[in-house]
Amino acid sequence: MGLRDDLDRFREVGEAKRQDLSEFIQYGDLGQSRPDEVRIPIKIVDLPEFVYDPRDKGGVGQGGDGTPDVGDPVGRPQPGSGDGDEDGDGDEPGEEGAEHEYYEMDPEEFAQELDEELGLDLEPKGKKVVEETEGDFTDITRTGPASTLDFERLFKEGLKRKLAMAFDEDYVREALRVDGWGPATVFEWAREKHLPVSRAWIDDAYESIPADERSRWDSIEEMEANVDRETTAARIRREGIDEIPFRREDERYRYPEIVEEREKNVVVVNIRDVSGSMRQSKRELVERTFTPLDWYLTGKYDNAEFVYIAHDAEAWEVDREEFFGIRSGGGTRISSAYELAAEVLAERYPWSEWNRYVFAAGDSENSSNDTEKQVIPLMEEIPANLHAYVETQPSGNAINATHAQEVDDHFGDSDEVAVAYVQRPEDVVDAIYTILSTEAESASP
Amino acid sequence: MSTDDRIQKQRIAAGLAEPAREARALARKLGLEPFEVNYWVVDYEEMNELIAYGGFQTRYPHWRWGMSYDRQRKQRQFLGGKAFEIVNNDDPSNAFLQASNDLADQKAVITHVEAHADFFRNNEWFRMFGSSPDAAAMLERHAETIDEYMRDPEVSREDVEEWIDHVLCLEDNIDQHEPFSTTEEWVVESSTSADLAEKLEELDLSEEVRREVFDQEWLEQMDADDDGPTFPSEPEKDLLAFLRAHGKAYDEDSGKAVDYEEWQREVLELLRREAYYFAPQKMTKVMNEGWAAYWESTMMSGEAFAGPDEFVSYADHMAQVLGSPGLNPYKLGLELWQYVENRRNRREVVEHLLRVEGVTWRNFADTVDLDAVLDALEPDPVVDDPVGHLDELDPADPRIDAETLERAREGDPDLDLERYPWKLLTTQGLAERHYSLVLAQNRGFLKRIGQAELERISRYLFDTTRYASVEQAVSDVDRTAGWDRMLEVRESHNDVTFLDEFLTDEFVDENDYFTYEYTHTTRDFRVTSTDAEDVKKKLMLQFTNFGKPTVAVVDGNFRNRNELLLAHHYNGVQLDLNQAKKTLERVFELWGRPVALKTVVKELDEHEIEVARRRDREPEPTERGKLIRFDGESFEEESLGDEEIADIMASDVDYDTKPDDWL
Repeated sequence: MGLRDDLDRFREVGEAKRQDLSEFIQYGDLGQSRPDEVRIPIKIVDLPEFVYDPRDKGGVGQGGDGTPDVGDPVGRPQPGSGDGDEDGDGDEPGEEGAEHEYYEMDPEEFAQELDEELGLDLEPKGKKVVEETEGDFTDITRTGPASTLDFERLFKEGLKRKLAMAFDEDYVREALRVDGWGPATVFEWAREKHLPVSRAWIDDAYESIPADERSRWDSIEEMEANVDRETTAARIRREGIDEIPFRREDERYRYPEIVEEREKNVVVVNIRDVSGSMRQSKRELVERTFTPLDWYLTGKYDNAEFVYIAHDAEAWEVDREEFFGIRSGGGTRISSAYELAAEVLAERYPWSEWNRYVFAAGDSENSSNDTEKQVIPLMEEIPANLHAYVETQPSGNAINATHAQEVDDHFGDSDEVAVAYVQRPEDVVDAIYTILSTEAESASP
Repeated sequence: MSTDDRIQKQRIAAGLAEPAREARALARKLGLEPFEVNYWVVDYEEMNELIAYGGFQTRYPHWRWGMSYDRQRKQRQFLGGKAFEIVNNDDPSNAFLQASNDLADQKAVITHVEAHADFFRNNEWFRMFGSSPDAAAMLERHAETIDEYMRDPEVSREDVEEWIDHVLCLEDNIDQHEPFSTTEEWVVESSTSADLAEKLEELDLSEEVRREVFDQEWLEQMDADDDGPTFPSEPEKDLLAFLRAHGKAYDEDSGKAVDYEEWQREVLELLRREAYYFAPQKMTKVMNEGWAAYWESTMMSGEAFAGPDEFVSYADHMAQVLGSPGLNPYKLGLELWQYVENRRNRREVVEHLLRVEGVTWRNFADTVDLDAVLDALEPDPVVDDPVGHLDELDPADPRIDAETLERAREGDPDLDLERYPWKLLTTQGLAERHYSLVLAQNRGFLKRIGQAELERISRYLFDTTRYASVEQAVSDVDRTAGWDRMLEVRESHNDVTFLDEFLTDEFVDENDYFTYEYTHTTRDFRVTSTDAEDVKKKLMLQFTNFGKPTVAVVDGNFRNRNELLLAHHYNGVQLDLNQAKKTLERVFELWGRPVALKTVVKELDEHEIEVARRRDREPEPTERGKLIRFDGESFEEESLGDEEIADIMASDVDYDTKPDDWL
C-alpha cells in the first residue's frame, strides 16, 4: 500500500489500456505528440461517468481584454472550473475528467515497440567517426615509457622461456654414460625426447664426465629403467629459480585502447506532393505514414535531422509545421523535389557522415516522362540507405497516376528502394512495414 | 527521510510557529471561527503525494492516485512547484506547508488555510456528513480495509480493483443534498420501507437485534414482497445506496446474479461514505476558495501580515493565482464575496441616508453628497492607527480591545504592537478599519446605486428613527454589517445558491463574462451571449449537481424482470451517450442483471445541418425519447413516445444561450 504502488498500478493499467500502437498509427490523434515525445492516448483510464455532451453543454468564459463579440470563435472550450493553480484542499484530484490522458513514450521506446509489433530489426549504421576515446589500457606495444612496462607479462614470458629452455641436466648426463654413446648419439636421442638441449652443452658435459663413467650403463634402455627423469616443474618446485631470463624481446608496454565512436546520424528527407490533386484525405494519409517513420528513425539514431520538401511543379523547403498542411495549385513534377533533395543532401549531409532516408509521397501523378527520364536516374544517383515512395490514392488508381508503378517496376525487389501503397488508414501500418523492412534487409554497410 | 531533512524541516516549522499563532489570533479577531489547524512542514515530494491523495496521508490502494500523482508531478515540474497550500476538512484540520516556499508564501498559505478551516467548520453543507468529520482516521480505516481485501488470498486483487472502478464511476451519483446516512439507515429511512421502519420503531428493538434479525436482507425481501413493480416509490438519486441495498453481482461462470460478497458490500459502502465526505467541497469550491482568498488578502495586505519586504513576493503570488485563465474559482469567488460585502454595506448606508429628513429615493441623487458621505465613513484615526493613538484609546470603546490595551499600557513586551497593531482592536474596530466602501477600489460602488435599488430599499424600510442630518445618519451606520452578512452567507450557501443570489448583471458586465455554444454551421464553439442572464444560466448548469446530469433510479423491477431502470432528468442538455453507455456497463456489474437508461436525445440529420448552413442558421434538433438497455453483452436502443418521457422532461429550464438570429 502506498503511492509508489499506486503509481506502479497506474503504469500497468495505463500500459494495458493505452491504444494499441498499430491502431494509434492508423486512427489515433497524432497531433498531440511532439517530435521528441510520442503521446499515445490511453483508452479508458479515465473512468466513465454520466456527463453532459460537451458540445450540447457549452460553457462560460471570461474575456481577456474586453467582452468578446457574439459569434467570435472561442477556440477550445475552457475547462469547467479550470484553476491553473490546482490547490487541492481536499478536493478530489484529477476531477476534470474531460481531458485526455496520454501514455508518453520517447521515440526510442516507440521504435522498440514498433520493432516488436511489426517484427522489424533495423540496425542503425554508424557513420562519421566523431571521436576517439581512450579505453582501458588493454592494447600493448613493444616500446613505451618505463612506467607502462607490463612487468607481469615480462615475468611470465621469462618464466615460460625458462621452462621451455630448462631440462633435466642430470638425466642427459646419464645418457652420456651409456656405453658406446657419444655426444652425437645423445643429441639425436635428446631431440627425439624433446629435450631442449644444445649440442654445445652436450659436448661440454661429455668432456666433463670422467672416462671410466662413460660406460656406466650397457644400454639406453637400462639407463631409462633405472634413472627417473624429473620434470622441470618438479625441479623448480624443489630447487626454486635462481634467475628468470628477462629478454628485451619480451618487454611489452601497455597503452590504452582507442575506441572509435561512430555517430549514428540520420537525415530523413520527407518529400510531399502539394499540388491541387492532393486533397485533405490524401494529405492525412501522408502524415499518418510519415510521422511514425520520423519517430521511428529518431528513436533508432543518436541524432536525427529532417528536411521537408514540398513540391508541385517546383520544389521548396518548408518547416515541419507547414509541411502537412500546404496545398498549392500548380501541376506536378516530382523530379523537382529530387533535384532539391540532391542539392540539400550534398551540401549539408555528406554521405560519408550521414545515413540518409529519402521518403516521397503523393498520388502518383507526375508530368509525362518525368518519372522515367528524371526521377529514376536521380534516385539511382542519390546515395541513401533507402528511397521510398508512398502512393496515397484513397479512390484507387487514377489514369496517368503511374509514378509508383514505374518506380516499382524499375527497381523491382531492390533493397534500396521501397514502394508502398496507402489507400486508407488501414494500409498505413503495412506501408510502414514495407518501407522499414526493405531497409532492414539491406543491413550490410 | 534523512536527519538533515528532518532538522531542516524542524527549523522551518519553528520559524512558522509565530506566524501560525498570530494568524489564528487575527482570524478570530476578524470574526472567523476556524477548526484548530495542525501545520506540517513537508518537502516537495511529500507535497505531491499529499495532493495526489486529496490532502491526506493514507488512502486506499488504487491506480487513480498514481495517475493524479503522475499528472501532478508533470504539471508542477512545468509550473515550478511553488506556493502550494493544502488543507483538509477535518477537526482538527491538517495543513501542509512546503519546505521550499519562502516566508511570504508560507504566511499567505497560513492565512488562507485559517479561512478554509473556518469555512469547513461553519458551512452547513459540511455538516451533512455529521458534526465532526474525523476524516483522516476514517480514510485510513478505509485504506486498511481495502488493503486487507486485496491481500486476502480468497479475493483477487484485480477483482477488488475492478469493483472499486465500477463504484467510482458513480461516485457523484449520490444525494448530496441529504445528510449522510449509512445504507442500513438509508434502507430504514427510505420511503420504500417507511411503514416497516415505523413498525420496527414501535417495537423498540435494540440496535443489535435489529442488525441481526431485521437485517438488510430481510428488509429487502419485505420490499420485494410489498412493492412489486414500482420501487422506489420516488426516483432515487442515491444510486450507490440503492445498489448497495438491492444490487447483485454478476457471476460470469453461472451467468447469474448472485448476492454481493462481504467485501463487495463493504467496499461499496465505504466508497459511498467517501463520496459523501468529499461532496461538500465540490459543492462549495467557488465560495470556499473565494472566502480563503478574501481573508488571506485582508490579513496579508490589509493587516500587513506580509512584512514590507515580503509584500512584493506576496502580491506577485496573488496575481498569479487570480490571474490564471478561464473560469477561475478563486477570482470568481473573491469578487463575489467582495460584492456581498459591498452590497450589504451600501444597503446599510443607504438605509440610514433614506431616513434623513427630506431624503427620499426619488431625490436621493440630488440631495445627498455621496463624496461627503464617503469621507464621513473613513475610519476613525484611532482605529486606523491605534498604536499612534495609544494614549487616547478608551477601554470602554467597543472598538477597542480593553484587555490588550491594559497590557500595552503596562508595557507588555510580548505584544509586538508595531507588527500586530490589530491586537488593540475588537472585531468592530477591525470592521471600521477595513470598511469596504471607502477602499480605493470600491469608492465608486456607493455611487453606482441605481434608482430601482433605492426604491426597493426604501419600500422595505421601517420608518422608525429619523435623522436630522446626513452626518448623524452616517455616524449610526453599523460598519460590521458587511462582514456579518458574509458570515451568514458562508454558513448557509453552496455554490449554486451563492451564484444564483449574488451574480448580478453588474458583476457579469464588469468581468467580461460570456457564454459559448457549439455551432453546427461552423463546427466549432462560438461566443453566443454576453448577457448576464445567459451567463448565469450557464454557470448554474456548470455548478448544479457537480455540473453533471441528474440520473435517478426509477424502477428496481423494470418490466417485472428485476431489471434496473435509470432515468436521466432531461434539462435541455443531452447526455454524452458514449460515456453513458460505458457507465451503464459498470452499473450492470453492480446490479447483476440487465440495466436500462431512459433519456432524451437531440437528433439532427446531415441534411438539416446542410440546409441550415446554407441559410446561415443553426439547425433545430428534434428531441426524442430513448431507452438504452444493456443486458451484460450488448446494447439495445429503442425510441420512446413523448408520453413515456413526460416525467423526465424539465419544461421550466432552458440552458440554451444561442441568440435567435444566429450569425
